[in-house]
Order: sequence, then structure tokens, then C-alpha cells
Amino acid sequence: MKALLISDKQYLTKTYQSLKNSIELFLKTKGFGTEIMEVGAENLTFCKGCFGCWIKKPGECVINDMMTQINQSFMNCDVVIYLSPIIFGQFSANIKNTVDRSLPNMLPFFVKRPDGSTTHPPRYNTYPKQIIVGYGETVSDEDKQLFIDVTKKHRRNIEVLIYQETSETIIKTLNTMEFGRMSDIL
Amino acid sequence: MKNVVFVSASPKINEQSVSKEFLEMAASLINATEFSKTFIDVRKSISAHKLSEDFETFSKAEVIIISFPLYYFCMPGILTRFLEDYYHSHTISGNISNKVKVYAIVNCGFPEPETNLEAVRVIKSFSRHIKAEFRFGVLIGGGPMMFAAKNAPFMKKAVQKLNNAFLSIAEDIQQENFAKPDHIYIGVNFPKRLYFFMGGRGWITSARKNGLQKKDLYKKPYRLNE
Repeated sequence: MKALLISDKQYLTKTYQSLKNSIELFLKTKGFGTEIMEVGAENLTFCKGCFGCWIKKPGECVINDMMTQINQSFMNCDVVIYLSPIIFGQFSANIKNTVDRSLPNMLPFFVKRPDGSTTHPPRYNTYPKQIIVGYGETVSDEDKQLFIDVTKKHRRNIEVLIYQETSETIIKTLNTMEFGRMSDIL
Repeated sequence: MKNVVFVSASPKINEQSVSKEFLEMAASLINATEFSKTFIDVRKSISAHKLSEDFETFSKAEVIIISFPLYYFCMPGILTRFLEDYYHSHTISGNISNKVKVYAIVNCGFPEPETNLEAVRVIKSFSRHIKAEFRFGVLIGGGPMMFAAKNAPFMKKAVQKLNNAFLSIAEDIQQENFAKPDHIYIGVNFPKRLYFFMGGRGWITSARKNGLQKKDLYKKPYRLNE
């Protein structure tokens, strides 16, 4: 069983260290081998909106940097956990770049979701379990709710957890989850 | 004279940017005798290493209008970087003193303008962090199509709505103590099934121009056995 932990090297705060240590230990006790990828502006650039991943080299980002390794690991592990600082109620820039550049893992076409909204269909039959953990020192309730909505309103297959003072509640919630590859839910 | 700063944040550099077109459309409706207009292109700002200069311009704005495309249901990473770095370099050092008005123009390729709402809420949160006043957002569905087909008869109603929305911004920046308007939602008046079909056909045509076949679009490079 393989796990991928993606974090932002610009925000290696005490909260982050505590979260990372607890989650690493949790994954170890569950029998996962964990790969940690720390992303920063110098090893992972932003998505340039070229759509090369759809119409030039389908399924692969045409920019050659750390994202190639992340997409490869992402598509071949059982669980992916993003540890993201909460900035203005969304991901930090480094984590957002990682999210934007996972676009090759989707197809370019349009498909209708159960709520009537539109999205892109999955490229693969199965995906790893995806969990986003948001953290920050002083995050308002409004920003916490927005951090959840940014993902949960549009992507039902991803879990979003918010760090609240200690890692205990995060670990308790992780303990209730089933891990493993799953089909994409629109 | 009040200073309006227009920020376009499409990551594309060599292609026409729909976000920039919408921004220029909004700028053209703002009275040049009462407001000075300055433009920041985030992609050019980063590639030409003129972030410090543009942060200074941004910090002196009395009105900020930010236009960007939706990426993965929120702001593109390039704009996230710009606003995050601005916040760290200027706000924390206490450089912000004036109360500014902020507006967001967000467009997406999906036909539903509502999909842009969380991105607008992020701009609202950013405004709160820099102690500015967020006013309202213009949420545009089917953005690329709206611009490409703006002269087509079926687009007349949507283009009129766009004009009205940008006129609302032009009016709102002139008013003090004006009641805060609701966000404005604008979608294309086009059958969804046909919209999906045309979108799909567009991708296949573009791929063929790159020497690919339709089946190549479905490749699974990271899981060859699926």
C-alpha cells in the first residue's frame, strides 16, 4: 500500500510539522509506505493554460519539472494527502499549482454531474483516495468554510479536513475512513 | 483623480486572453476624466520580473478590478502566487492605509456561471485580509465561447448583460455609501447538449492539428494496464 503526502515547503510551520509527524505515524501503523513531496516555487511552476496535456501529449503535462514525478506517483498510489496552508480560504500558491497541474489526469470533454453542473470526465478507471488537510495559525471560520466549499462543492470524491488546534481530531477522522483506489465520482 | 488598477490574470502569454478582453471591455466604460487607469498583467509581471513595481502600483490603487479564468474551481495558481506574495510583502509591513474597493470578473469554460462563486469568495477573503472593501463579482459561464461568438445573434442578450454588468461596476466606483449590489451571473443562451458536443469537437480538431487521432486523447500514460 502506497501513500503520497504533498506539502508546501514555504509553510513548514510548527503546526505543519506536528500534522506531518502525526499523519506519517498514522500511515505507518496502517501499513503504508509514504512518499513525501515538498513543493515550492523553485521546483514546481504554475499551469500555463496551454492544454498541451490534452491535445499535444494527452495525459502528461508538457512542462518538465517536479509535477511529472508527482503525477506519476499520484496515479500509482492508494492514498494522496495534501497538507495545505489556508490562504484567503483556498490553497496556498504552491499547492494550487499542484492541483491545477493534475489536469492531465482528466479528459478534456464535458460531462454533467448529478447536481446539473458541468465538469470534465475522468481519464482513468480508478484514482487514489484523496484527502486535503487545511492548516493555519489564525484562520477565520469564514475562510475555513470557504476552504471546504472550494473543493466539496465541485468534487465529491475528495475529503477535506481542517486542522483544529491539535492533530488528534484529524487522526480520529482519518481512522474512520476507508483507504484504497476508487472510481471517480463526479 | 481616483486611481483604478485593472489586473488580468490569465496564465496564457501568446494566445488571446478572454479575461483580458473582459477587463478591457469593463475599462472602456469607466470615465477617463474622473479616473486614471493602470493595467497589470500578472503573467507579464512575473516573466518580466517587475513584481515589486506592480505591487507598488497595486498598493496605491483606490479601486481594484481583477479578471481571471477559473482553474480547478478557483483562482489559477499564478494569481494565487501574486496575491499571496503581495499580502506577505505589503500588508504585513503595514503598508496599506487607504480603503479600496475591489471587484472580481471570473469566467469559466463551463456553461454555468455559478461555478465561479467560490473563486469570487476567495477574492472577497483577500480583500478582507488587505482591509479593502469587496463590492461584488461578475460571474461568467461559457466565457471563451461568449467572446469568440460575441457578434452572433444568439449571443446578443448575453453581451448586453455583460455590458450592463460592467456599467454597474463603473457606476458603483463613483458612489459613496452605495448599497452593496449582489453578484451578477451571466451565462450563454445556448443548448447545453450542443455546447458539450461543440466543446468536444473542438478538442478533437485541435488534437488532429497536432498530428493526433481521436483515440489518442484517451491515453492513460500512468496506468497502461487500465
